[in-house]
Amino acid sequence: EDKNMAAGCAWFLVLGSVFLCSLMKTLLPTISSFLSKMVQKDAEQESEMRAEIQEMKKEQSSISMMDEFARYARLERKINKMTDKLKTHVKSRTAQQAKMKWVVNIVFYILQAALMISLIWKYYSDPVTVVPSRWIAPVERLVAFPTGVAGGVGITCWLVVCNKVVTLCLHAVS
Amino acid sequence: MESGEATEERTGSLSAAQRRAEIRRRKLLINSEVRMNRIVGFAKNESENNAGASRRPTEPHFHLDLDRTELWSSPSSSPRPSPFLPEALRVRQRPRGELASDDPSSSPRRGLQKYLSHFDNAMKLRGQLDNEKPAQDGGSDSEEFDPFRIFRLIGSILLAVFVRVFVCRYLSIFAPFLTLELAYMGLSKYFPKVEKKTKTTVLTAALLLSGIPAEVINRSMDTYRRMGDVFADLCIYFFTFILSHEILLLIGSETP
Repeated sequence: EDKNMAAGCAWFLVLGSVFLCSLMKTLLPTISSFLSKMVQKDAEQESEMRAEIQEMKKEQSSISMMDEFARYARLERKINKMTDKLKTHVKSRTAQQAKMKWVVNIVFYILQAALMISLIWKYYSDPVTVVPSRWIAPVERLVAFPTGVAGGVGITCWLVVCNKVVTLCLHAVS
Repeated sequence: MESGEATEERTGSLSAAQRRAEIRRRKLLINSEVRMNRIVGFAKNESENNAGASRRPTEPHFHLDLDRTELWSSPSSSPRPSPFLPEALRVRQRPRGELASDDPSSSPRRGLQKYLSHFDNAMKLRGQLDNEKPAQDGGSDSEEFDPFRIFRLIGSILLAVFVRVFVCRYLSIFAPFLTLELAYMGLSKYFPKVEKKTKTTVLTAALLLSGIPAEVINRSMDTYRRMGDVFADLCIYFFTFILSHEILLLIGSETP
């Protein structure tokens, strides 16, 4: 009875796996930005630099260039130096984010491929569900591929159907 | 008398000067073709060899815009000059229908013009792709839910449940589905048409540049889109059928 129960839930297991994979795929950008924030050590430094530049610019706008040229020029040099430093910082952060996004994507696709291959391996010869074969005539062979069981729904057909349905549902929800 | 002779001499020298100027002008005009070929890198003997191939029929100028209402530019109409064409070529551009009977170097120039027009179009397509890329990234997916599409999906779901409960004992489940699709084809005209803007993708740009007419590309993409809609309906229908079948089995097994 347990075996029958397990066999009866095969279609649900495949559906659940496909749903999970599609959900993770939509959440990938969020995950990669979260991980890159965790990995980044000097996140406050950037906002401090921005605040400092703003302050210096404010101070510079209050100085008359004609009357206090030296001070103005000194401030200008400081602002330029800080801006260059900020640019370098932003560049490295962006590169790190891109790297993290790439790593997360690669890991996800590897896991997804492993899951799909294991599902196909498990249900290669067993259909995920069985219906009377006359119901799905004349394409019962195609639907049953690769099991060859009359009236059975093969893993490939069910994976394709679930993928399409889950994509449509998630698109409708989002 | 002497002034008359001097006048005659002057007139003669003028006409000689004029004649020399005329000879120089003709020489410049004759040599301009050779000079142009040397500038653009075509050897003279290549132009002589290709003179036989210059009698090709005119080719249609392919259109960038994938909009169906745009007409094809006919071969006889003069092509829009490319900004990349050198001035000399643009000024001396002739309608495509003309045969260069007296111009052995016209085929390399025509080839160059064709190449430059292709290059021009490729640059424009690249610009279009760059413009469309942010819109595609921020915009919705290719599967947009217009009213007719929602109607189709709901219809497929309802039909699947109906077929599972009443019909599947008597005939195949795909027969009602095919009937439904035929009905949708007829009903589509009663729904407001959502104008789907043809997106310029790398594939469409590559097909355009390879010479396939935009009209053909449009029709193929439209057919592909319709096939995608039918496939989506089939997946929803089959999924709902199997799901309702499993639910009925579960209910049937749970009832004492």
